Amino acid sequence: MAIQSTTFTRSLARPNFLSALRALWAVMKREWMIFVRYPSWVISLFIWPIIFPLSYVLTARALSGRDGSGMALFQAATGVHDYIGYIAVGTTIWMWQNVVLWNVGFSLRNEQLRGTLESNWLSPTWRFAYLLGSSAPQLLSMLMFLTVSAIEFTLFLGVRFEGSLWLTLLTILVAVPSVYGLGFAFASLVITLKEANAFVFLVRGIVMIFCGITFPISILPDWMRPIANWLPQTYIIHAIRSASLSTEGLPAILGDLQALALFGIFWLTAGYLVFNWMERRARRTGAIGQY
Amino acid sequence: MEIKSLSQPTFMAQVRALFAIARKDWKQYWRYPLNAVSTVFQPVIWLAPVYFMGKAFSVNGQALGFAQYSGTSDFMSFIILGAVLGNFINAVFWGMGYALKNDMDSGVMESNWLTPIPRLLILIGHSLTNLIVTTVTSLGMLLVCGLIFGFHPTGDVWSAVLAILPMLIGLYGFGFAFAGVVLLVREANTMVDMSAFLVQIFSGTDFPVTVLPKWLLPIALILPLTYGIDAARGLLLKTDTLLSIEAEVILLIIFMFVMLWFGSWIFYRIERRVRTLGTLGQH
Repeated sequence: MAIQSTTFTRSLARPNFLSALRALWAVMKREWMIFVRYPSWVISLFIWPIIFPLSYVLTARALSGRDGSGMALFQAATGVHDYIGYIAVGTTIWMWQNVVLWNVGFSLRNEQLRGTLESNWLSPTWRFAYLLGSSAPQLLSMLMFLTVSAIEFTLFLGVRFEGSLWLTLLTILVAVPSVYGLGFAFASLVITLKEANAFVFLVRGIVMIFCGITFPISILPDWMRPIANWLPQTYIIHAIRSASLSTEGLPAILGDLQALALFGIFWLTAGYLVFNWMERRARRTGAIGQY
Repeated sequence: MEIKSLSQPTFMAQVRALFAIARKDWKQYWRYPLNAVSTVFQPVIWLAPVYFMGKAFSVNGQALGFAQYSGTSDFMSFIILGAVLGNFINAVFWGMGYALKNDMDSGVMESNWLTPIPRLLILIGHSLTNLIVTTVTSLGMLLVCGLIFGFHPTGDVWSAVLAILPMLIGLYGFGFAFAGVVLLVREANTMVDMSAFLVQIFSGTDFPVTVLPKWLLPIALILPLTYGIDAARGLLLKTDTLLSIEAEVILLIIFMFVMLWFGSWIFYRIERRVRTLGTLGQH
């Protein structure tokens, strides 16, 4: 009697969900190994959280004067009493966005410069995994950065975090899609533009000017305030300040969280669509292989 | 007929080489005009948070609290001038620091090193263009920031320029040493970024150094750049100075000679080291 056997073969050209997950994990592992291979990140992790806000904190101290008369004006104009914590939180969020623009934003470009992008692109892998995989270790390193920042602000700048840790973590979680969605869109544009340093300067400059990293939005001229309202970083900064520095609780940041949720959906969608557009364009023009 | 050996270049030959390097750097820089535009407008972005923050501390645009530390309530003129001079600090750390590294990455380092001109001359050529380009972009920056934020000098411009000249020359002398260090370290982004930022903080580009906590003040006071920036502000904006202007200028002149010698010495030591290691041609 003939034995019949049936062999099911799955074509490599039709990857499934598990294979996409395995590819994602492989990219994450690789990115993490590259990150820890160059120990200079340890110095950055401990030094930048304190020196970057320090410049603004000392400028604010100079503006407040020896007798603190300037500080009274600031408090009357803004309602802010802890200017150090105020500045520290604002500048830290700016640093977060800045690092994402450089790291995630240039992740595909760096692969292109290393000469590995084409071969990766030819594999039957879900291509968005390359961006997602680059972001995950970056997010982990940023969480470390935020933790170290909070500790150093307390130890060296005397900032008192009187708010809620859980609310702060919730805000960070809700902010992640906006911050990284922008990074995804950026990464896709960088592949097309090649030299995009000027665009990083532009985007982070917009955050610096309009999002109130060292001042309340109410200080901005009338024509600038609407622009601030369209930037997710404005809500991130406001929400984290409220959640971490004050005891106002969830009601004070509910509006910010709702706005961030919408921004997150928008930027993740935009990031994915721009990536797909870039990918189609790159295949048509051969840009993937161009230095 | 007297024949001059190529291995014994004359003074004029060295001058020609110097200007050839400077001309090459000049052409290369202006080949990418967006970089120049970025250098002029970037400070507007960095100064905007300070400007708006300052408004919250001010009455009718005058920061009276600031005047207690600096002697002037015109905090934006104070900070703009610091930013302009900080531009030179950045130019030395990034521009001079990577001057030779860029030659290395372009693949021209070894052939340049084999030419019969003093190797320091290559750095001097880079310094010349760097200084001129930074002066041009700094003036552009001063104009733009002055228009947007307001810059109101009340003192003597030429005295201020003369006072900072020794500081700038000394700074570029430091640049020689730094170029050597980057040649040795090769992957120096973090070091350059952090050093430039810390030097700017401690030399008072953004605030009067007397604001620093007492235990950090000595760091500011041993940096010659602190006195250069202080003297420029004292002459141009009539601010209170740490020492008398004359004393600060004397310090800067001493700094100039010391740094020119020290920077050259460090550079030659490191250059010998990298030649011994054989890393000069390594990417």
